[in-house]
Amino acid sequence: MSSELSSRVNKERAVLLMIPLLILHLVLLSLQIETPSGTYLLKTWTLAVQAPIIAVSSGITRKIRTVWSRYFWMVGARAENERLLETVRRLSIVNSSYEQVRQENARLHRLLAIGESIPYTTIGAHVVARTPSFLSNVIYIDRGSKDGIHVDAPVISGDGVVGRTVLLSRRQSQVQLITNPDASMGVMLERTRVPGVLRGSGDFLLNLNYIGNSEQVENGDVVLSSGLDGIYPKGLAIGKVVESSKGNGVFRSIKVQPFVDLMRIEEISILLGPAPQGPMQQR
Amino acid sequence: MKYLFLGLSAFLAIVAQMIAGNNFFLFNFLDMALILVAYWAVYRSRMQALFVGSLTGLLLDAAIGWPLGYNGFGKTLAAFAIGQCWKRFNTADQLWVRFSIIAASSCLSSLSMFVLFLLLERSSSKIYLGASLLQALVTAAVAVIIFAGLENYKRTQTNKAH
Repeated sequence: MSSELSSRVNKERAVLLMIPLLILHLVLLSLQIETPSGTYLLKTWTLAVQAPIIAVSSGITRKIRTVWSRYFWMVGARAENERLLETVRRLSIVNSSYEQVRQENARLHRLLAIGESIPYTTIGAHVVARTPSFLSNVIYIDRGSKDGIHVDAPVISGDGVVGRTVLLSRRQSQVQLITNPDASMGVMLERTRVPGVLRGSGDFLLNLNYIGNSEQVENGDVVLSSGLDGIYPKGLAIGKVVESSKGNGVFRSIKVQPFVDLMRIEEISILLGPAPQGPMQQR
Repeated sequence: MKYLFLGLSAFLAIVAQMIAGNNFFLFNFLDMALILVAYWAVYRSRMQALFVGSLTGLLLDAAIGWPLGYNGFGKTLAAFAIGQCWKRFNTADQLWVRFSIIAASSCLSSLSMFVLFLLLERSSSKIYLGASLLQALVTAAVAVIIFAGLENYKRTQTNKAH
């Protein structure tokens, strides 16, 4: 009996030792292997594991909210409101791109008489989870690789740029907000066309870097994406300058407030790439 | 000292296999690392055999230029399987039981690596599974012979002492 007990104890100890060793090997592998998109497998696996949990909890809360709003408020008015909001959002994006195209067209016509359009395909998504803002400025959306999304896909709303996708699972994606301390993008000032680099600070305001002290920058100047980073198409609205002063070194110290209310955003669009025809094609 | 010997023996097993495999084709189907792991699980400590499996596997991965962890994962599983099965079944003078345990553990190791290949989107040779089965049979046969020889030697030494 005691030898049986001892054998069972030994077996349990062996299992308790084996499991951490196996996990260690898996972690070691995942730290060395990147997916074709360049992200570490450990991060992708973590996202894949948490995605169903987030999806279920988000679905439940959304269902409860829907039941409350649909059965205790006017159903028709709510549906109409949602439809109109979606239309307004789409039209805002179209209008924003047309305005940039028009300005650029006018500028180039003055110089070289060349026109350009910015066609791109988009797909809508909901924000299903977010990390606390002081941690990482990251949101999760309910679209993934099965919807045709790729890493570094620009994410926008009707008001402007939200961020870019950094991690994908089949059904969910992690979006790095532009306020994330690790986020940066190539931008330019709409009025003077001066290029710079916009960096997140973990705060609600963004830092606009590499604008020289000699440049004219005023509060209210609109900041657009320059397209030079290879991620965000040119001409997307990002924010406006709220603070501008001469820096101690060569460059100005500029703070930019995003147009998008990143704390309250619920629906977004992801840019999938150039559309085959037409300015904006919604999926 | 014991752990130095452990590390050294793991390293030598791998080097020996690489040299032998380069010169004799059949040695390509002999998993000397697994034989070392089996020896540790059977004749020494089953707990230590898990570490032997991990270390041997890591060294093997380094030697063949794979990302570290594939063989470590597989050999750790094999060490656990051999250790548990050797106690559970009657292996005393039952050569076919020993052969089955070692062959099955080798297959388990290869299969776990194949699953890791799939999960980590790593391409593997089309003949990987077939070659692994052949390796399991050859390794098990050689291991059984070696263990039988070791036990005979110990018995002879014991008889001489008495």
